[in-house]
Amino acid sequence: MTATTVDASWLSSLNQGKIGFTRFCTYLGLMLGISAMAMFGNGYNEDAFLLQILSMQGVLWGGTGALLGLACGAVLGALKPSLNESRFALNTVPWLDGLLGMILLAMLWSLFEPAAAQINYEDQSNLVSGDIVMAMNVIFIFSAVSYIAYLFAPESFIGRVATLSAYAGVFAGGSALLLRWYESYLLDMEIGHAPVSNLYEVFILLFCITSAVYLTLERRYQAKAMGAFVMTLVSAGVFFGIWLDSIGQADIKPLVPALQSYWMKIHVPMNFVGYGSFAVACGAGMAYLFRYRLENKGSQSRMLAIFPTLDQLDQLAYKAVAIGFPAFTLATILGAAWAAEAWGGYWSWDPKETWALIVWLIYGAYLHARVSHGWHGKALAWWAVAGFLVTVFCFLGVNMYLSGLHSYGRLS
Amino acid sequence: MPPMNLFGAFAKTIWTRLGSMSLAVILLVVLSIASVIGTVLLQNQSQADYLQQFGPLWYWTFRSLGLFDMYHSWWFLTLLGFLMLSLSACLWRNIPRMLKEMKSRRPHLTERAIARFRFRQQWQTDDADTLVATFKKTLHGWEFRETEENGTRYIRADKGRWNKWGYILVHSALLIILIGGWTSVQFGFRGDMSVPEGRSESEISFLKGTSREYLKMPFEVRCNSFNIEFFPTGAPKEFRSNLTIIDHGKEVLTKDIIVNEPLYYKGVRIYQASFGDGGSSIRFKLYHLDSSEKTETIDTHVYETWKDKNTGVSIEVTDFKPFNVENMAGPGEPKDFRDLGPAVEYILRGPGLKAVKIKAFMNPFIDTEGVNQGSFLLVSLSGNAADYKPFPLGIDLSNEQEWKLFHAFFQHLSDSSIQDKKKRNLLAFKAAMKDVYGDTMPKNFQQIAMRTLQAVNVLPQLPWPYLPMLEDYDQVYYTGLQLAKDPGMNIVWVGSALLVIGMCIMFYMPHRKLWLIIRPDGQQTEVRFVGMVNRNEMAFASAFNDIFMKIAGESAPSARA
Ligand code: HEM
Repeated sequence: MTATTVDASWLSSLNQGKIGFTRFCTYLGLMLGISAMAMFGNGYNEDAFLLQILSMQGVLWGGTGALLGLACGAVLGALKPSLNESRFALNTVPWLDGLLGMILLAMLWSLFEPAAAQINYEDQSNLVSGDIVMAMNVIFIFSAVSYIAYLFAPESFIGRVATLSAYAGVFAGGSALLLRWYESYLLDMEIGHAPVSNLYEVFILLFCITSAVYLTLERRYQAKAMGAFVMTLVSAGVFFGIWLDSIGQADIKPLVPALQSYWMKIHVPMNFVGYGSFAVACGAGMAYLFRYRLENKGSQSRMLAIFPTLDQLDQLAYKAVAIGFPAFTLATILGAAWAAEAWGGYWSWDPKETWALIVWLIYGAYLHARVSHGWHGKALAWWAVAGFLVTVFCFLGVNMYLSGLHSYGRLS
Repeated sequence: MPPMNLFGAFAKTIWTRLGSMSLAVILLVVLSIASVIGTVLLQNQSQADYLQQFGPLWYWTFRSLGLFDMYHSWWFLTLLGFLMLSLSACLWRNIPRMLKEMKSRRPHLTERAIARFRFRQQWQTDDADTLVATFKKTLHGWEFRETEENGTRYIRADKGRWNKWGYILVHSALLIILIGGWTSVQFGFRGDMSVPEGRSESEISFLKGTSREYLKMPFEVRCNSFNIEFFPTGAPKEFRSNLTIIDHGKEVLTKDIIVNEPLYYKGVRIYQASFGDGGSSIRFKLYHLDSSEKTETIDTHVYETWKDKNTGVSIEVTDFKPFNVENMAGPGEPKDFRDLGPAVEYILRGPGLKAVKIKAFMNPFIDTEGVNQGSFLLVSLSGNAADYKPFPLGIDLSNEQEWKLFHAFFQHLSDSSIQDKKKRNLLAFKAAMKDVYGDTMPKNFQQIAMRTLQAVNVLPQLPWPYLPMLEDYDQVYYTGLQLAKDPGMNIVWVGSALLVIGMCIMFYMPHRKLWLIIRPDGQQTEVRFVGMVNRNEMAFASAFNDIFMKIAGESAPSARA
């Protein structure tokens, strides 16, 4: 882990300074344009929001927003040049680029969909997104194997293969989800809904977000050795996803009335930003404990050379929690807002809500334990690992073992 | 020491302990562990269920600890109270210090302070002015302060100086949210109301502790209609109630509500929460099982009990559903959703009879090949819906002729003296067919024959005097509404917004400080560059290095770390 040096390729210059900031404003304008369409256009159509965005109406609203954003960005950047160095904008642009890439990929895949007459609800096996998810599964497992291989044979080539395959997995998973959204309309206009409504779909989302958060940390802090741990967690999830598919949980199903709300589209993904970051923190914690053991045994392994130091791993775990905690807080608040609108109370002590609170309290305690004295290193690494176990229970266990209002995640 | 003073010292110690971070960690962990209990032990169930589940000893133990409504029990609220106290204490203690810290930006540093910095660089330059210019240009958007002491220039640059506001916002926000929650509990209400179609209601009911309580609303709600829409798969798509609000006898508002789109009137929100049967009219046809071929019809309603004076048998109707969509596919086959049509559920009781729960379908069961398999029931001997077992009756009771055929067949069978069973059946059936249908045989008479034979084996075994089947219905739904008033909600939203903003400041806008210390040293000028950050040192390390490369690279050929 050395300091990043100035990278001069033209590609990365797109993400820097004036160009980066203007692009950020353009994206922002695009999103605001689409939100404005939902709020003020012909009305938000819960049943066909994706198609609404993709229609002429969406192009007009989104395009206008993007152009306005572009202009605002250029003017603001010229008036107040410090904005051009805004870290928030410059850190966000690559994510939005990635999202755009996924959308384009999903459009490409959609060309391979079977003819309308061959698509039916009872047998969804001929839809393309299933194949892409399968590819994603293979890629993520391959990536985990490469990262582990990299630990034992720290060749930069192997490391690069591992990283590239992790990126490929994220793009495959993200585009498959977007495609699945589109496919849900192909089945039946009434069935169409955003692909964040059941366990199988959110699992794919979780893999992508976990990997993406990890890749961001890897890119910024050269923490490649940690990948072996994070991607192994993801692979474990992949096997669970394959099992879900094998018991018929992968089908697109219509939404129950309680989930037919725009809140679902923001609450659920935001929650998974939290879960994904906590998974990365868990990976960092495991890497910490691993290195700690190696060091304590006085190992001279070549592995140590490529591993981040204990202090760096400690900070990486903190970094991941620092991404996840605000996201999880926001997600919980969004959930409360939704509950207020759908059930009449922002907090009902429903098991899922309560477990979200427990997860939140545990990471809150983690952050405090860090600041106060005496709590560092090994204990906190264990805390990060244990915190993730609680998170997994909140995510899976509650749906499977406890009853409550959040029964959508239940296997049916 | 005078006692007053002792008390003061004690109070001060408590106050300090309350505001300490270790207490915060302990409180957070204890709260999270306590919260687990209420998710494992189902909350707010009926007391009878609890008693049955745990037995008297544990029931009373749990009850006295308030575990059945744990999140409102005194000890849980006390924990929350401690959290509020602790938050107040730490805010009280830290805010003045932080405000002062944020304002003071003394550029001067002592040698000892400089030696303690983790991020430090030192080099020689011969052009200090260019260096300072580059420094300021590189750190565009930072705030600068300068001072000169004993010929040494101190230039201080700050970014994210307001970071501590993040801390203040987050912790005040938590306090605000807790206050909002308390306001909601104290001054708000939430309860359920079921309104049958065409009727109105003005009272809500809710659980308080271990008992159910009632509250009168300042208006009446009338349900004009309730509708369910279905997906092509048979799963429900939308529940929609058309409601009218009646205030002091006047109709003031009529509106449709669906799940996720409530109605708002006089500070009360009205939500679509559930639905059920609102007392549909049910017409039963009783098929007497005493071989008399007699039938009679009775009219009753859902939730009512009809009682036969002669036999003492009673029929308590518990539910009615016009659609009963089931997946008819076996395990592993592609799904096959089918609507089995209207069905009524009732409990049949009588002297000398074991009470049974029955779900009777109006239509016969048509299998996947389109073959009529006759009428059928679901019967549960335990009274529990999970124990329903299908019970085929053989004949199709929606067809009057099959009932007649059954009796004719039965009659001919008992009249016959032929020994050979097969032959006896065949002849009896032929004679019965002739009695009922005359010379025109129905097309599917072979199936009818099989089913009639089945009925002969089944019907006489039934212990009941008659078989109540659904003959006709007039459906009425009730809509299950939830009414809530929550004056604390907006306080909670304000707190939530502050919480998120505060966290963004706290985590993503760290306070970064950099110093450039320039001291003329004979011909050359010695430059020291130091920095610190209150969070995320890893990112700062690379930024520090980048800035160092930039300014040192331009000002000194002999940069050294
Ligand atoms: C639910 C309760 C609480 C939450 C969610 C919360 C949240 C936070 C967070 C996120 C941080 C930043 C940690 C970091 O920088 O890594 C923090 C810092 C801190 N919290 Fe809390 N807090 C809570 C309760 C308390 C309580 C009760 C106290 C006082 C006893 C307290 C005292 C502090 C202090 C002193 C800091 C350090 C500020 C700094 O680093 O500059 N917190 N809190």
